[in-house]
Amino acid sequence: MELKMIHKLRVINKWVALVVGAGLLLCAGFVLADIIMRQIGTSFGGTEEIAGYAMALATSWGMSFTLLELGHVRIDLLRSRADSFKRALFDVFSMIVMSGVIVTIAIKAWPVLERSIMNGSRANTPLETPLVWVQLPWFAGWVWFAVMTTLTTLAALSLLMKRRHSETENFVGAFAEQETLQ
Amino acid sequence: MIGYVSVGLLGLLSLSIPVGIVLFLLGFGIDTFFSNFPLTRGLGNMVWSSSNSATLIAIPFFVLLGEILVRSGVATKTYAALDRWVSWLPGGLVHANIATATMFSATSGSSVATAATVATVAMPQAEKLGYDPKLFSGAIAAGGTLGIMIPPSINLIVYGFLTQSSIPQLFLAGLIPGLALAIGFMAITVIICLIRPDLGGTRRTFPFAKMLRALIDLVPILILFGAIVGSIYGGWATPTEAAAVGVAGSLVIALVFGGVSLSMLTQSLTGTVKITSMIMLIVIGASFLNFTLASAGLGRELTEFMTGLGLTPLKTILVVVVLYIVLGFFIETLSLMVVTIPIIVPLVVAQGFDVVWFGILMIVLIEMALITPPVGLNLYVVQGARKSGSLNEVMLGALPYCLTMLTMAFLLIAFPSIALFLPNALQ
Repeated sequence: MELKMIHKLRVINKWVALVVGAGLLLCAGFVLADIIMRQIGTSFGGTEEIAGYAMALATSWGMSFTLLELGHVRIDLLRSRADSFKRALFDVFSMIVMSGVIVTIAIKAWPVLERSIMNGSRANTPLETPLVWVQLPWFAGWVWFAVMTTLTTLAALSLLMKRRHSETENFVGAFAEQETLQ
Repeated sequence: MIGYVSVGLLGLLSLSIPVGIVLFLLGFGIDTFFSNFPLTRGLGNMVWSSSNSATLIAIPFFVLLGEILVRSGVATKTYAALDRWVSWLPGGLVHANIATATMFSATSGSSVATAATVATVAMPQAEKLGYDPKLFSGAIAAGGTLGIMIPPSINLIVYGFLTQSSIPQLFLAGLIPGLALAIGFMAITVIICLIRPDLGGTRRTFPFAKMLRALIDLVPILILFGAIVGSIYGGWATPTEAAAVGVAGSLVIALVFGGVSLSMLTQSLTGTVKITSMIMLIVIGASFLNFTLASAGLGRELTEFMTGLGLTPLKTILVVVVLYIVLGFFIETLSLMVVTIPIIVPLVVAQGFDVVWFGILMIVLIEMALITPPVGLNLYVVQGARKSGSLNEVMLGALPYCLTMLTMAFLLIAFPSIALFLPNALQ
């Protein structure tokens, strides 16, 4: 059951990553178009601002994909010397800590959005973007990441309690850089 | 506070908690134990403001550029072309390894991607032509480290962002040391192969016409590099805009070489998202730790600490060098750089050193971390692409190049103008 859920989360987040990646590509195109327009004397204006928003959104929504692909860097000097059971303990412990931190970030991200909603804040720029438009999806991204880390942690914990610790390596183990870069 | 951060850092890292998360935890700790104000209240704003950045979006752009080039098969052609130009030297194809790694460093921003690319292309050749596997694979691991020195460099963007120094100046400063390292790597290969000709395999010469024809395969990469660097220094594009130009250029090159497909494009995009988020979790964590350290009065404590030690500026730098070499055995590149910036950079700058110069010195030192065991990412990447032999061979083979880097670090300390000449001349 746990492994099925992880598989589903992986599939969903791969699609999320694809959308994020396409967004980044689109943003590159937009920046490029602005450079060309500047050469002929006009400009969209506000590309810097939009690029910044794109980065904030890409960051918050891309995190879960990296998590499930074991992309977040860990130093596994001690861990790699342990046997399969102890390795699973290392992994589950680090996932519990990680979930705690990410949930905290998601909670602390709310006041940022709340203030923008209450004050109807707009960016201090020529575009005067209503900040809610970008901070709402940004906040949602961190909540999504918090939910993903919590679900992953629970799946690993549940397998550990069922003594199926060898199966956790596949989704909470240390990063496997060489395979993913091929 | 310095002691707390150092011990906490090493302790938490050794528990194999993700590096970015460790940085947040340390920030929470500083807030709880050393600050009079509730700093964690600012966490949401820190996370928003450090990721809402038009500067940092250059990172995914440069990663995407590298991913597109790597996955479109351009690397294979580049390698074959460079083989024709440099394989007459003692050491033969080993030079092609270094030269290809150098060229890809110039366009992509990541050392690991560069090493992985060259290793995949080159390794099959090594056995066929009778090369010593140690030197051959060591050269790829070492050549791949140049990716973070020769502009555009993702690590320099992160350094510039966290220390608030000029990224174009950092790029300029990295150019000469990066090229000098590449030449140094080739020189040490020639020396080794002159002493032990059996290590170097067969030297090969090609007819001039063939060399000229190979040049066609190199031109696109050279133009792309020229466009990226040229647009920054021509003053009509910021590093971020140049990166966007690079993405478009790499797509055009991939199209011309016939390597564009839907699966290649989706792999490049998801690969970019993965690497970007990996970097950003660490960068946001470091921004938060930076903020808590500065608010809790790290600056004052550092000055007191340094006066207490009574070290001269030169001795300080030497201590820093030793520190990076030791930490570099255990921590990988970007993490090593980001976790040390909040403490080491203010300390070094307080001693009167130039922040751009130190950025370049730091890059040389963390490049060494990429190829020093037991935690040296490039060693594993090259080993992963090899089908036989042990990791020890790669480590041994990388040793001469490690020494070249160490020499470079001392040259930079003795002659800071190696790095600062270009940025000063073009200011």
